[in-house]
Amino acid sequence: MGRLDEAAFAALHARSARALRAYVYRVVGNTSDADDIVQEAFLRMLRADVPAGDEEHLRRYLYRVASNLIVDRWRKRTHEQGEEMMPEPASPRPRYEDDAAIAKIFAELKPRDRALLWLAYVEGESHEEIASSLGVGRRGVKVMLFRARRRLRDLLQARGVLVNS
Amino acid sequence: MTEWFDLDRDEERAVAAFMSRVASLQIPDPGSRIPDPAQLWCKAALLRKWDAERRAQRPLDVMLPIEIAGGLVAAGLLLYWSIPYL
Repeated sequence: MGRLDEAAFAALHARSARALRAYVYRVVGNTSDADDIVQEAFLRMLRADVPAGDEEHLRRYLYRVASNLIVDRWRKRTHEQGEEMMPEPASPRPRYEDDAAIAKIFAELKPRDRALLWLAYVEGESHEEIASSLGVGRRGVKVMLFRARRRLRDLLQARGVLVNS
Repeated sequence: MTEWFDLDRDEERAVAAFMSRVASLQIPDPGSRIPDPAQLWCKAALLRKWDAERRAQRPLDVMLPIEIAGGLVAAGLLLYWSIPYL
């Protein structure tokens, strides 16, 4: 299998950059970090000289690198601050219609939970695909995803958010 | 086994509904600072070149202190052996 050439890379970039940025942005919560991470993920993929071929495989490679970078950055930040970074608590009853309130509730989850939920619900990935995107075991994903969903459910209940829209 | 990993239907619906709202949220600054693919390609080529140079340079970097230490030992021995003739 040959190496990824410039045209194939441009095509991959065109098809995946926006979605990857949306994923990273929702997990890290700011555009500056999201842009840095997306750029770094593409550069690492190119530097690693991954073989060209299945675009889905390359896309998943990008998500895996980006997910690792997110975790690294999060660990670095929490280490520097000496405590876990927690977003400001949301108001007790945010209006569900309010985009900012939704973003805020989502931001209250841990980055790993946000990543899992995004990949499962927004990207529509299977357990196997999520495992590949995050570089974790398939069986572990099932448990982690269940816990992430449960934490989100608890959060929605605690905020008194009516989700039956 | 799988049931244990499932929320009940209403909860699952609530989570799915919430996530679909999250997915539809606007991402700020759509014209982001992510460089275009041509720029990334050039930057990666440059980084790959530096990686290759660094790899090629590594044995020389490892050998340098060994060479210096060897030179110092040799100089010391030479001095030691030449003391009787001084």
